[in-house]
Amino acid sequence: MLNISIVNIVCTIINLLILYFVFKKFLFGRVDEILAKRQEEVDSATATADKAIAEAMAQKSMYEEKISLADEEKETILADIKKQGYDEYDRIVTDARKKGDQIVKEARHKAMAEAERAKEEYAGQMRDMVIDAASKIAATDRDKADDYKLYDKFINEAKAVKNE
Amino acid sequence: MKEMLNELLMEDKTLIHMPFGGGYFDIYASVVVSWIILAVVIVLVLILTKDLKVHNISKRQAALESVVMFLRNLISTIIGEEAGGYTDYIVTVLVFIGLCNMVGLFGFTPPTMDLNVTIALSVMSIVLVEAAGIMKKGAGGWLKSFAHPMAVIAPMNVLELVIRPLSLCMRLFGNILGATVIMELIKHVVPVILPAALSLYFDLFDGAIQAYVFCFLTSLYIKEAVE
Amino acid sequence: MSLTAIGAGLAAFTGIGAGIGISIATGKATDAVARQPEADGKIMRLLLLGCALAEATAIYGFVVAIMIILFA
Repeated sequence: MLNISIVNIVCTIINLLILYFVFKKFLFGRVDEILAKRQEEVDSATATADKAIAEAMAQKSMYEEKISLADEEKETILADIKKQGYDEYDRIVTDARKKGDQIVKEARHKAMAEAERAKEEYAGQMRDMVIDAASKIAATDRDKADDYKLYDKFINEAKAVKNE
Repeated sequence: MKEMLNELLMEDKTLIHMPFGGGYFDIYASVVVSWIILAVVIVLVLILTKDLKVHNISKRQAALESVVMFLRNLISTIIGEEAGGYTDYIVTVLVFIGLCNMVGLFGFTPPTMDLNVTIALSVMSIVLVEAAGIMKKGAGGWLKSFAHPMAVIAPMNVLELVIRPLSLCMRLFGNILGATVIMELIKHVVPVILPAALSLYFDLFDGAIQAYVFCFLTSLYIKEAVE
Repeated sequence: MSLTAIGAGLAAFTGIGAGIGISIATGKATDAVARQPEADGKIMRLLLLGCALAEATAIYGFVVAIMIILFA
């Protein structure tokens, strides 16, 4: 049991080295290749995914900018329209007021003209009546009492005509 | 009983007797058995790594990959980051010793029961450790590292250069020797069922643990020398 | 009563140290697992390692005993 022979030790060392080289070349070499390829694929997949995410973020920020600009435009358009509306309203109101004033003035003129006409007509009727009375008086011979009676009657009729 | 122990331990185990120049080359049985183990392992590796694919792998390749990664992970957690290049050799030694210890199941005498094989293994280990230290620190730095924590400990450190491989070798040899002797005794006394049950502990478990301890200690020494 | 037998018997005494050491280590390991059950994988590995290393001294004694019996 205790024989130590150098030959066997050397043989065992050679055995170990042969096994090491076979393992390194065949087992670890091939398995490492596959693992490296897999790792590479995973890395490239993560790289493209990262790039896609970065692109998506950039586009998103671009769209957000556009949306905010659109908001501002909307505000200005609304303000414009409102101002136009108010202007229109003011214009219509002043127009209406002017027209109203004009109508009132015309109506007043018309009323005054009517009054004038009525007065003239009334004066005409009065003239006719006076001529009638005068002719009646001239046509009859009367005394003063009949004259006063005629005058009163004439004044009462004139009052009645006036009161009509 | 004594003749059985004699036959197991004492006889000259020369299996092959090769004439060489003046004297003879005696190749022991242990070396022949390790040749057989080597041949089996090489054929197995060549068959299993025949065509490996990247995706859509077969179960055999998945099993192979998981075994390789498990073994590498066992060693690389201890050996650390810097000495990662030595992981391959230590995994080889792990597989070799593990298989050597387990051929007791098949009726051979384990090669590691021979003192020469364990001496060869421990000599390779210590050469690797010291070479790693020299390559990392340079020859001057390696000599200075003997006085590493304190200068008083320098003789102990120099002695450790001899004691470490001796302890590795004797531990492996003694464990496998003890396991084999006890298995022989049990087989002699109760040949039927008990050997099968007990060999689960002695051959498989003990063999695996001793292989792992050998490699664990070697990688611990490498890490210590390279730090 | 030959001296080889006494020598071998004395060499086998190294088992005591290994037995005591491994028992104390196992006790502390169970304490650690009871304190933190989720670390039990690591603790078991450390325990197994420690036992394998501590058993080496017992094995040295065994080897010396066998050598004494067979060679003297």
